[in-house]
Amino acid sequence: MTAATMVDEGGAAAAPGRPVRRGPRSDAGWLLAPSLALVLAGLMLPLVLMARYSLAHFDPAATEVSGFGVENYTRFFGDPFYLWILARTLTVALACTAICLLLGVPAAYVISRVPSRRLKTALILATVIPLLMGNAVRAAGWMVLLADKGLINSALLVTGVISEPVRILYTGSAVVIGLIAVLLPFMIISLQSVFEGIGETYEEAAATMGARPWTTFFRVTLPLAMPGVFSGCLLCFVLAVNAYATPVLIGGPSFQMMAPKVYEQAIKVYNWPFAATLAFILMGVTFALTVLSSITLQKRYGAL
Amino acid sequence: MQHTGISVTRSFRPAMIGGCILAFVMVLAPLVAIIWVSFFENKIISFPPTGYTLSWYATAWEMPRFRDGFATSLKLGVLATAISLAVGIPASVVLARGRFPGREAIQSLLLAPLIVPGIVAGAAFYMFLIEAEIVTGVQVATTFTGLVIAHSLIALPWTVRLVTASLLGVDPQLREAALTMGARPFTAFRRVTWPVIRPGVVAGALFSFVVSFVDLEKSIFLVGPGTTTLPIVIVNYLEWSVDPTIAAVATVQIALIAAGLIITDRYFKLARAF
Repeated sequence: MTAATMVDEGGAAAAPGRPVRRGPRSDAGWLLAPSLALVLAGLMLPLVLMARYSLAHFDPAATEVSGFGVENYTRFFGDPFYLWILARTLTVALACTAICLLLGVPAAYVISRVPSRRLKTALILATVIPLLMGNAVRAAGWMVLLADKGLINSALLVTGVISEPVRILYTGSAVVIGLIAVLLPFMIISLQSVFEGIGETYEEAAATMGARPWTTFFRVTLPLAMPGVFSGCLLCFVLAVNAYATPVLIGGPSFQMMAPKVYEQAIKVYNWPFAATLAFILMGVTFALTVLSSITLQKRYGAL
Repeated sequence: MQHTGISVTRSFRPAMIGGCILAFVMVLAPLVAIIWVSFFENKIISFPPTGYTLSWYATAWEMPRFRDGFATSLKLGVLATAISLAVGIPASVVLARGRFPGREAIQSLLLAPLIVPGIVAGAAFYMFLIEAEIVTGVQVATTFTGLVIAHSLIALPWTVRLVTASLLGVDPQLREAALTMGARPFTAFRRVTWPVIRPGVVAGALFSFVVSFVDLEKSIFLVGPGTTTLPIVIVNYLEWSVDPTIAAVATVQIALIAAGLIITDRYFKLARAF
């Protein structure tokens, strides 16, 4: 998931016929054809059609898409309400990414330096299994924890820290908490492989030279891990910007973010042109950030 | 100064281990909470519970929407996995064999479903199917077929990634040798390549199944009456209430996926998948 992958995408659609014939084997063509057909029909053509929709005029009475212009885009960028939703989406994503980094670094570091193989396997499984558990199930868990009569409020009431339940569920903080839990495994996995690759030799060398653990970590280990830090942050940010289930369930109906808005416009309002526009703005922000950070990264750290 | 220095030195390990523990609490807390609640006796969730019972599992099983959603997701996951393996393994074999013009482009095209945000891809595919319906007059938009195509797409990148990764461990000369000795391409695949890539295929199949089974963003546009998947049933239920019944459903999903991943990890180290 690097810049190269993203940039290639535009030109990719034209490629299938060519390499197949010039390929080293004559069977390469029919081996590639089914998968390419699936991606072209299931993803690329639909995206092209959606691009067309995003430039169309919305007429609630008409069944056919008509008109051609950028009115949907000007509507989005001219309306403070939508700009505010975009700003909120980006803020939430930024907050989540920062906290994920703060918690992910120690977790990944500990996993990569644990001497026991069994414990390391257990910790990796404890990271990967929740990652593949599905967002609906994890949102349900947070609803149980954060509700007015949930575990956290009950615990605070019993211990006397508060006398009235605090509203946590259906707030922005709850969405950030829920998203951190969803994204943290991605951050840990990204960082863990990098820390693993650095190995303990450099740290031992720094220690021999008299560096203290904190100094070694911030002056030696972390700089070497920077490519992993950036790719982990990018992954978290992109996933947070596009999050759907967590804001809908934990944020409640009044908490607006971009991805739920796409669904709302398409399915509830039936304004497909505007839904398509929202989707493209969402994807544009995602891709722009990815390409931008990869370019800056390549300048600073060479190819990732 | 000397003292601060020493305490800072000593604080490194505790700080790292503390951060690690906090991270795992964040990741695991929602899963532990939902499993715990599924055994609560009281229907309205409050802590501590009045007692414990297993009856919510029976209640959940008796609700047709959960049973149907589970059956749909299961069928969908199996079909999507089968299709993604059928089209993904041949593609991976070609991609891993070496450089040819356009190889990079094809690889990124096959991994694109992983990069395009789920909600965007889902909305686009839904509009595409409706358009196809208008042109052909055949209903496809909220049918099982539409879901199968969408889910095969979600699964494909995982198959391609994991199978390609395991193919990189195969020495291409072995296959060449087999071909030189007169083996047909398929025999060479079966006897030389297949044994090496089997763990990758197993892991690819499992990941495909799991990402299909839990998918929400792409399916949410495509489900219809009679073809609703389990995650969407769960979300619809949660929009109204959270109670031990839904906790029991979630717990069953957690148990199934965890079991599958732990078994797979014995043959294919999961950390390699990312």
